[in-house]
Amino acid sequence: MTSPQRLVWDATARTRGWFVLASVTAVLGSAGTLAFPWAMARALDAVVARRAAAGPVLLCAALLALVVATGALQTLANGGYGSGTVAALRRSLARRALDAGVPGTAGFPAGDLAGRLSAGCAQAGSAGVTLVTASTAVLTSLGGVVALWLLDWRIGLCFSLGVPPLVLIARSFMNRGSGLFLRYQETQGRISALLLEALGGARTIGASGTAAAETRRILEPLPELSRTGHRVWALQRDTGWQVGLLIPAVEVLVLGAGGLALLHGDISAGELAAVVAYTALAMAALDQLDALFALGMSAAGARRVAEVVDQPVPAPGTRVRPAGGPGTVTLSGVTVRSGNRLVLDSVDLVVPAGTALAVVGRSGAGKSTLAALIGRLREPDAGLVAIDGVPLPELTPQALGAAVGYAFERPALLGTTVAGMIAFARPDASREEVGAAAGAARADDFITRLPCGYDTPLTDAPLSGGEVQRLGLARALVHDPAVIVLDDALSSLDTATEARVGSALASAWSDRTRVLIAHRVSTAARADLVAWLEDGRVRALGTHADLWQRDDYRALFAADTAPEGAPGHDTHPHTQEPV
Amino acid sequence: MSEAAPRPIDRHLFAGFLRQHRKAAVAVAGWSLLEAVPALASGLLVAAALDRGFLAGRPAEGFFWIGLLGAAMVFRALMTRTLTPWLGRIVEPLRDELVTAVAAGAVHRAAAGARDTAGAGVARLTVQVESVRALVSALLRSARQLGVSLLMAFVGLAALSAPVAAVTLPPVLLTLLLCAPRLRALARRQRRQLRAEEALTAAAGETFDGIRDVVACGARDRVADVLSARITDHRDAVRAVARTASANTLLVSLGSHLPLLVLLLAAPRLLDRGALSVGELLGATSYLVGGVAPALRALVSVLGSWGVQLATVLGRLSRSTLPARRTPGQAPGPGASPRAPRSPDLSLVNVGYAYGPGAAPVIDGLSLDLPAGSHLTVVGPSGAGKSTLTTLLAGLAEPDSGRLTLGGVPVTEVDRAWLHRAVTLIPQEAYVFTGTVRDNLRYLRPRARDADLLASATAVGARALVDRLGGLDAPVGLDGPPLSSGERQLVALARAHVSPASIVLLDEACCHLDPAAEERAERAFAARGTTLVVVAHRISSALRAPRVLVLDGERTAIGTHAQLLDESPLYADLVGHWVAATTA
Repeated sequence: MTSPQRLVWDATARTRGWFVLASVTAVLGSAGTLAFPWAMARALDAVVARRAAAGPVLLCAALLALVVATGALQTLANGGYGSGTVAALRRSLARRALDAGVPGTAGFPAGDLAGRLSAGCAQAGSAGVTLVTASTAVLTSLGGVVALWLLDWRIGLCFSLGVPPLVLIARSFMNRGSGLFLRYQETQGRISALLLEALGGARTIGASGTAAAETRRILEPLPELSRTGHRVWALQRDTGWQVGLLIPAVEVLVLGAGGLALLHGDISAGELAAVVAYTALAMAALDQLDALFALGMSAAGARRVAEVVDQPVPAPGTRVRPAGGPGTVTLSGVTVRSGNRLVLDSVDLVVPAGTALAVVGRSGAGKSTLAALIGRLREPDAGLVAIDGVPLPELTPQALGAAVGYAFERPALLGTTVAGMIAFARPDASREEVGAAAGAARADDFITRLPCGYDTPLTDAPLSGGEVQRLGLARALVHDPAVIVLDDALSSLDTATEARVGSALASAWSDRTRVLIAHRVSTAARADLVAWLEDGRVRALGTHADLWQRDDYRALFAADTAPEGAPGHDTHPHTQEPV
Repeated sequence: MSEAAPRPIDRHLFAGFLRQHRKAAVAVAGWSLLEAVPALASGLLVAAALDRGFLAGRPAEGFFWIGLLGAAMVFRALMTRTLTPWLGRIVEPLRDELVTAVAAGAVHRAAAGARDTAGAGVARLTVQVESVRALVSALLRSARQLGVSLLMAFVGLAALSAPVAAVTLPPVLLTLLLCAPRLRALARRQRRQLRAEEALTAAAGETFDGIRDVVACGARDRVADVLSARITDHRDAVRAVARTASANTLLVSLGSHLPLLVLLLAAPRLLDRGALSVGELLGATSYLVGGVAPALRALVSVLGSWGVQLATVLGRLSRSTLPARRTPGQAPGPGASPRAPRSPDLSLVNVGYAYGPGAAPVIDGLSLDLPAGSHLTVVGPSGAGKSTLTTLLAGLAEPDSGRLTLGGVPVTEVDRAWLHRAVTLIPQEAYVFTGTVRDNLRYLRPRARDADLLASATAVGARALVDRLGGLDAPVGLDGPPLSSGERQLVALARAHVSPASIVLLDEACCHLDPAAEERAERAFAARGTTLVVVAHRISSALRAPRVLVLDGERTAIGTHAQLLDESPLYADLVGHWVAATTA
């Protein structure tokens, strides 16, 4: 796997200018901060001794100007560097997810990829800025310690005595804290999950008038959350108390040693002021504890990004399909495995140009896998799929897009409006073409009933599963490729609508090659040819009328006494029933 | 906090919260002042240690004053220790209050049919509440302490040397004055950044969930460009925030460093006039370097990051908990008080309904009588308004035109509690929640006996499922085994069968069951003897009903199966395709 460091480093390389500015300003700022107490000591001593103080005071002013300028520039550079890295990571993740396509993204649950793009990349991309700022802050603190040692070794020793107990306190806080934080997050996640569950039953809750009771049920874990929260506060109190005792002890030691050194003339009065300032700088390292947590989060985020970026991507081809090619689909020796299971077992099949082939078989026979192969939505493990003799891997993505199109059982709602969804495969389609396609797919009726008709935003469109299917069919009609694959694309339509849409599609696509994945006997009956899949092999190929003579073929459809019985109903979030 | 009624997150909520937790607020304020006493004393004690001790050749006295400084800091640690739990007593109840408001708001809005409550976006609200908690506690822990320290450092400085305070205070005050309006500009840009982030997440979610369709439409490059543009938008928004923040940093560090320079320039004159001793000069620098400058910088940066984020998140939460549009019956017109009908007879006269003002009506001029105990099956093409009809019958939406009455009372005027008892609607997406099987089954009749629950489960064909899950005490939902869509429907059907409702509306409630299971469930409801309206998923439901409504705009018709076969070509068509499909 690409390591988190590699990932962040590569993204840094793409925003090099900001990175350099952020690093340079951090280092300069740190140098200015460290030099200032020394310059201040000289100025104070000059003032106290009534010597000419203009030089040292001017030096102080110059150092402060440096600190001020680098501070402002660093804020700017951190913003530029952090946002540049995040954007670079997001671009590579988005591109890789799109290129990896269905097989590459199938392992990520719905919504997870978007989370990796927004949160994962943001966490990973902040690592660079955290590292630059935290490491210079720690270096500044170390510089403060060194300065104390240089001013007077006894002062340095007094400070250093306080370091080991501080480390112990910090470790005990992290140890005791992590369990509590985890418990807190789990309880809080449960409230989110309960809320999400209730929102899924909104219609039931509305009709039963149980919103108040549901709210109480969702909030049941709240007291537990509150208890854990109070325990976190108690932990903070204890840690704060320990640190609060240690810091005065160190400061009293340091100031005492400084006072004695002043008394013996080992240091000047101004240098004592510098001791106070360097002690504060050295103590500031404590603030970097948070950076440790942040780096841990960044590493976790980077790993989530790396999992996507490491997905294999099929190489795009370079050939174009012969112009006006008729659209013959050839599968030769195609084998697809899923784990140890053979989904398709060296299938040979030719779909002659311009014919409609129905693919039938029990669920799990490999029908949808076969459908996915034809448009290279999935790669075979062995064998070859070709269109008009050109193997799919050799076609350019553009040529492939023009050659094969799909309509699915559950089309995704892409585009912003209903019209945009229908024209998604061909955004230059005119409004007339969109309207005609919607008409053929019997979608224009319900579209005109939507709040803004064709311009209704998809997020505002109350669409049922059958309506979404018809939008998907209209989209395929506008796409109009040489080969059309209908993967159970009419399953949620009632029988009357299905028959009408079926005949409209047949006349619109009479010269196109069609592959129909079918559960219903009526679909098989309308096709020119039927391929019967069983256990990953073609059991029989012939016309529906011929195959219907066989008892085992008829038995395939015995369960189909329910013409509208679509197995597995639509659960897409956009497809709630109209309210 | 046990309030389950929705209320918006706004200034009234916070005002009420502070009133309720006045004691904690007062305690925090009091302990904060005590906590800052060492910040007040530090420079004074350093000056004394030098002037009276080390510089005067009396180390013992120097150690005494430094020891006193140590004691003061221990005192401060003790105050912090006492104070910290009080912060928890403000922050934890505040979180409780916000989570309650968010959950109640989301559930009530969703139940009222607000469409923006679908999906995970709303559940993320609880995460936003969490960031409010983190931000408020961070602000209370640092900004409070910083502000008080800043104040105390100045009081101490004034006590040590009034002239020094007089020359160093103006730059600090000026900085604070100049920063206030700039924080508002920062907040504006951060809100823009948040919107860009949300737009990006939404676009990415839509694209990745539909990646198969993107590939199938040959739209990879186009979609990648769209996403890339959103990514750039967000990056630019972040950089705009950084520009504003950078200008603020410049201003604040100037303001925090200037006082020291002013002191160094003024010191020779003050020393000459005897207005300042060497110890006092060093004490004053320790106030400025160790107290004022860091506190001022940290204060402005904390307010500029956490404070602005807090304001932004609160604004978001506030919008998402605004009350939903008026639901029928909640606020009946003037003079109309909720009424309880005398019978559950339903009657529709010329009822019409559309999704929006400009949209074509889904239901248009529908008239229908459903006396108590009647049984109706509704069929029609997808999208003909079958679901909408059940929504109207359940009183979840108001007809745009015509008259829909229950026992002679317009449905919108019927007492809500009465309506919820009398009408049960089971939608297609069955609702099973986290709890026991028993909790789920007696949802609509909380006092039902176990025997009744099991009898209803048996009647609708859910008994085997209940037994397999482990009986009525078995957990379902988050703590139970995953249920298939069909199993969830069985639970919802059993629940409706238990309910005391005299009108049951099944809106494709059996669509995930096989035909035999569907028939069994429908017959169980028909045998209850109450009004039953079934939106048919399969035409076979129509064959079992004494009356059938064919819903499809102008071709709407009502009658028996035999009548409709003769009179409604659409119905004949629907049945015909079904017959053809099964016997082809």
